[in-house]
Amino acid sequence: MIELPLSTITLGTGFGLLLIGLWGMLVRKNIIRMVIGFSLIDTGIHMIMVSLGYIRGGTAPIIDAAVDRATALTAVVDPVPSALVLTAIVIGLGITAVMLAYAVQIHTHKKTLSIDDCTDSKW
Amino acid sequence: MAKRLLIVLALFLLAMMFWEVAANYTERTALTPIATHYVAQGPDEVGAPNLVTAVVVTYRGLDTLGEVTVLFLSAVAVGLLLTMGGLDQKAEPPTPASEIVETAVQYLFPIVLLFGAYIFVNGHLSPGGGFQGGAVIASATLLLFLALPRSKLRHALLIITESLSGFGYVLVGVLGLVLAGGFLDNRVLPLGDYGRLFSAGAIPVIYTFIGLKVGAELSAVLERFKGEAS
Amino acid sequence: MVEALGNPLNLIIVALGVGFLLPLIERSSPALSRGLFNLTIIYQAVLPLLWLLWLVNGAAAQQIQTAGIAPPFSINLRLGLEEAFFVAGVNLASLLGAWYLGGLLRGRAAAMSVFLILSMGVDGMIMTRDLFNLFIFIEITAIATYGLLSLERNAATLTAGFKYIIATSLASTFFLLGVMLFYYLTGTLNIDGMREQIAQVQGPLGMVAMSLLVAGVVIELKPYPANGWGLDVYESAPTGIAAMVSVGVSAGALFALYKILPLIEPFLPALVVVAGTTFLASNIIGLKQNKVRRLLGYSSIAQVSLLALAMVLLTQLHREDAMPLVIGGLFLNHLLAKAGLFWLSGALQRNAVEDWRGLRANPLLLAILGLLLAALAGLPPFPGFWAKWELVMQLSAGGMVSWVALILVGSLLEAVYLFRWFGRAMSPGVQLTPAPAVAQLLPIVLAVLGLLAAGHYAADSLGLDTLWVLLPAYAGIALVSIDGLPTRPKGLITLAIVAYYAYRVVPVLEGLTGLFGLMLLGGGLLMTAAGLYRGDTRRGYYALLTMLLLSFGGLLQADTSLEFFLAWEFLTVSSYLLLCMGRDAAPYTLAYLIFSLAAAFLLLAGFGLAYAETQSIALADLANVKDGAAAVLGLLLLGFLTKAGALGVHVWLPGAYAEADDDFSAMLAAVLGKAAVFGLFLSVISLGLKGGGSDVVMYLLSWIGLLTAFFGALMAIFQEDLKKMLAYSSMGQVGYMVAALATGSHLGWVAAGYLAVNHLLFKGLLFLVAAGIILRVGQREMYKMGGLIHNMPVSFFGMLIAIIALSGVPPLTGFGGKWLMLNALLEKGWYWQTGLAFFASAVAFLYLFRMIHTVFLGQRKRIHKDLRDAPLALLIPQLLLVFVILALSVQPNWLVNPIAAIMASHLPQTLVMHGSLMQSGLGYWDGFLVINVVGAVFMVPLLMLLVLSRFMRVQRVKQFNIVFAAERPESPETTHYAYDFYSFYDRALGFLVLPRATAFWNGVAEWSHSMGTGLRIFYTGNGQTYALYILLYVVTLYFAVGGPS
Repeated sequence: MIELPLSTITLGTGFGLLLIGLWGMLVRKNIIRMVIGFSLIDTGIHMIMVSLGYIRGGTAPIIDAAVDRATALTAVVDPVPSALVLTAIVIGLGITAVMLAYAVQIHTHKKTLSIDDCTDSKW
Repeated sequence: MAKRLLIVLALFLLAMMFWEVAANYTERTALTPIATHYVAQGPDEVGAPNLVTAVVVTYRGLDTLGEVTVLFLSAVAVGLLLTMGGLDQKAEPPTPASEIVETAVQYLFPIVLLFGAYIFVNGHLSPGGGFQGGAVIASATLLLFLALPRSKLRHALLIITESLSGFGYVLVGVLGLVLAGGFLDNRVLPLGDYGRLFSAGAIPVIYTFIGLKVGAELSAVLERFKGEAS
Repeated sequence: MVEALGNPLNLIIVALGVGFLLPLIERSSPALSRGLFNLTIIYQAVLPLLWLLWLVNGAAAQQIQTAGIAPPFSINLRLGLEEAFFVAGVNLASLLGAWYLGGLLRGRAAAMSVFLILSMGVDGMIMTRDLFNLFIFIEITAIATYGLLSLERNAATLTAGFKYIIATSLASTFFLLGVMLFYYLTGTLNIDGMREQIAQVQGPLGMVAMSLLVAGVVIELKPYPANGWGLDVYESAPTGIAAMVSVGVSAGALFALYKILPLIEPFLPALVVVAGTTFLASNIIGLKQNKVRRLLGYSSIAQVSLLALAMVLLTQLHREDAMPLVIGGLFLNHLLAKAGLFWLSGALQRNAVEDWRGLRANPLLLAILGLLLAALAGLPPFPGFWAKWELVMQLSAGGMVSWVALILVGSLLEAVYLFRWFGRAMSPGVQLTPAPAVAQLLPIVLAVLGLLAAGHYAADSLGLDTLWVLLPAYAGIALVSIDGLPTRPKGLITLAIVAYYAYRVVPVLEGLTGLFGLMLLGGGLLMTAAGLYRGDTRRGYYALLTMLLLSFGGLLQADTSLEFFLAWEFLTVSSYLLLCMGRDAAPYTLAYLIFSLAAAFLLLAGFGLAYAETQSIALADLANVKDGAAAVLGLLLLGFLTKAGALGVHVWLPGAYAEADDDFSAMLAAVLGKAAVFGLFLSVISLGLKGGGSDVVMYLLSWIGLLTAFFGALMAIFQEDLKKMLAYSSMGQVGYMVAALATGSHLGWVAAGYLAVNHLLFKGLLFLVAAGIILRVGQREMYKMGGLIHNMPVSFFGMLIAIIALSGVPPLTGFGGKWLMLNALLEKGWYWQTGLAFFASAVAFLYLFRMIHTVFLGQRKRIHKDLRDAPLALLIPQLLLVFVILALSVQPNWLVNPIAAIMASHLPQTLVMHGSLMQSGLGYWDGFLVINVVGAVFMVPLLMLLVLSRFMRVQRVKQFNIVFAAERPESPETTHYAYDFYSFYDRALGFLVLPRATAFWNGVAEWSHSMGTGLRIFYTGNGQTYALYILLYVVTLYFAVGGPS
């Protein structure tokens, strides 16, 4: 049996999460559930990002007692995707918060959370 | 039904795209030239053992400033949306938590705050940083709200913290422009001894500002979602 | 210090620093926070403007690095010419937008912060050279937009906002995934670094990476049909915010696309299709829209996709050098005009197009609306005009003819719905809302001024003698400023200006242009003078008239197709607006504009094709076109024929000529129509004699001309309305000129020139007589007149002379024209055409007889007993025209000789003149044949009518039959002998004049509308469906371009 590399597994999981999130976003009528779908998409993306930065056998890019500077070049994973994912997480959080705030307001104004009832403007 | 089929089709096609990626992906065995530079030169250039922090705060500092901005914007947006009679005022009064929880939270709250602060000041040395620390601080607020739903935050304090730490962050960045090599250059302060708390130039300062700002903003967001209900 | 203030990075630093502080400052001093906000937003606008200035004057593009570390290890930004231009535009719009939003932002420090950061986010999107950083700025912009959308709190805005969030967050998710794959493949996030490593972006991963990156940006640009969410926001957001989304956020996305173009080479063809589809679809759907804000939404999406289309096509053609003018012009045009219109609709609080009725009561608002719409429609002198010109030329030169067609069709559709809106504003109605505050209008006025300045600059950049070619527009604007004067002094000022202009211009014109110079400017002056009979307030009339007349000069002096097209568009705009002043013209103005613009676009396409072959825009080089001669000739002729009102495309003509102000009708029919004839001359002289395909075109032209002549005359005889009859008559007369031109012989062209002059004289005379009659009688229906010869003898005399001149019987000028034309046709051997020409002339007699008989002869109505003749101001020009007609009748060689000389420079002279008698001129022609044909053709209708009348029940009815029978007729007009005067011919020939062309064009309009209905079926309003479209868009892009390996 072929042994799958670690990052391929996390990559696949990330894609899976993304698809599940999209399903939730496209099928669930409740706005809150759609927001949850978005969160799943976001998490999926983060997993993909981290996977893409993985170096076989690498460890956290912190150069201290555990990883000395001499061997660091071959011992650590790419720090860039890790840094990017941090940023992406915060942004995802911000968007989720705004989405939820909108959901609250929509419920206040329309007394419903169904996306099918949110067709005030069209054509 | 047709729509459901279309959704399945779209997701299937997207899955095919992803499959292409996953099937043709090969795990990397060496760092990219840029990552190599960060790993090899980072400790000297920036002085932070935690290279992720070095990338986050200095090399890609503009991203991080943008990230802080995003959080600020979403806090403001939530504020704009949920203040001014937004929330349903007729919500049922929350059930009070048990006395054990209330008491425990009173003890836990300062400790969690302290832990948050620990995380952000040590961001250049160990896993962690301003965002993580800020999030921990906000979790203290969340804990407070869960245990004592009637508790209120001091808005003035929140706004002052938010504004000043944000402004402070920008100011440190500008100092980099004036005193060091460029905007957000962390070498406005001496890099110090590698691996010590007071080292890596302005990184701990920036992370402190970020930690305070994130903590204050997330707390404000939480309070707005909690609403006026009391 | 100064240097520090000028640092481009301040665009980000200052906005953020101030943005973070504002909420704190507001707690202590709201006034201070407001002041700081104002200061910052002004600084944000001034700084990039200064940079733009420095860069234009040769400063080097700024590479800005951060963190004191060189890229690609740190994030860098760039401020070159293109970045500075976009940033300056966006920040200027946000400055004006903040001014406009004033009230909404006041006292809300949080909203002010968000507004500042929004434009900062767009600046960042434009300047950054790092792909992930671009993602951050996209998100900053997006979240700032989400925040601002919530400033208006109603169900529609909130749900639209939520849909917007869903869509944009999905888009940025895909974008982020694309960025990460790019990083994985190239090992860098720096865009320039990626360009160097682009070879790595290949294989299955590269394909997915590119498609995700493209999809992320393209969806931000709101491609059809995955753009319902954007439209919903345009419709329901506060107008100030919608304007920012439309111009600011879109600008950022557009620039992002520009930056990633080198990374996604294989997707360029797909992008072209996406942008083209969106442009066309949005404009078709816009036709159905009757809410202003959503209308502007469709227009926004169309304009942005046009920008994207132009950008990608020029990249494909490697004509990046044309981008500043094309992209810059289109962008600035969209930026200021669209924002201005959003603001205007907000300031007036009118959303439904219907609600704009009655705006004409406020000339300032009407002028603002008109100027902004004209800019948006790409009319001169606004930047969009120059940009579209350059785009069409470049695309034509690159062989992208089908894209030119798509762009022109889309632009025409856009003009339709924009000017339908303007038409509403021009219609009478009640002024509903109080006039908006000056503070709200100022930014809109500034936007208009900005557009004018930008247009001027664009013209400069094309190397034109800007002041001179834009003189008509500037003169018009100058005269608007003295619009407060009484009418007659304004008329005199116009006369003085135009007379001086003509005095300077006409003498330097030579040959054909000299002839037409005399006709257009001389005729124009005369008709203007005749207009002095009106003393009522005519707001803006003389300003526009000046513009019209000076445009004649521009048309005649044009050396290049650009100058010609410019003057032509000025004519279109000014005549449209003048037509709009007609009291009941509203239903006809739109048709006039649509057909005029269609004509202009056909010309543009023709000029483009010519440019593609000769690489020159000089009019003289039109003659050097060889391979494409027939196509260019065909397009130009179609354009000019449309404007001349040839059969099939004449449907705009009767309404326009009839409903214009009476003096302006004379100008339209007698003078302006000659501009089209001038164009026809120009086309056939340059391209008509090339042989091959051109011969076919010319042959078709002869039939078009004669059928127009015939049907024009035929339709004229069935008109009850005096002016409509004259309108159809004009249409028919132009047909003769077209036919004469089609012969391509010296004789024919002399005939055409002669007919043109003659038509100017007698049709001007007839319309002026009609103006006098209508002034006195207050009626246009001829059967309500009669016996006016007693009251208006001078007018009768004028009409009589005009009729004889028109009918082509000896001894007046008309005879010469007909004689020349028929000879030319015969000389060519076109016997059928000759026959038709004769027949058409015979028909013309009918309506001429009816006109003079019904109006001046017969019984006088009792109420007309005390009428006086027309005012002197009208009679003097009439008498002048009568005098010229008589003089030229006595000495036809005064006219024929110069025309023959002019035409001799283009063709070997076949018309030989001896002395003053023109009959002796022609050397060889089969007089017998001519006479036979004449005889035959007069016999045919005669016999036909005789035969027909035998088989039809002919009832002889006395005038008062019904009254004597003591019956009260149900509709009294039927008792009048003059009513339905030619009903018997109607029975015989009426089937020929069923409004087939009108029905056809109505069908086209209905079809376009149903297309709109069909195309907008995707916009269900459901956010989830919109998300599905986005997903489908992503996968379609991927599978269409490459798909899995």
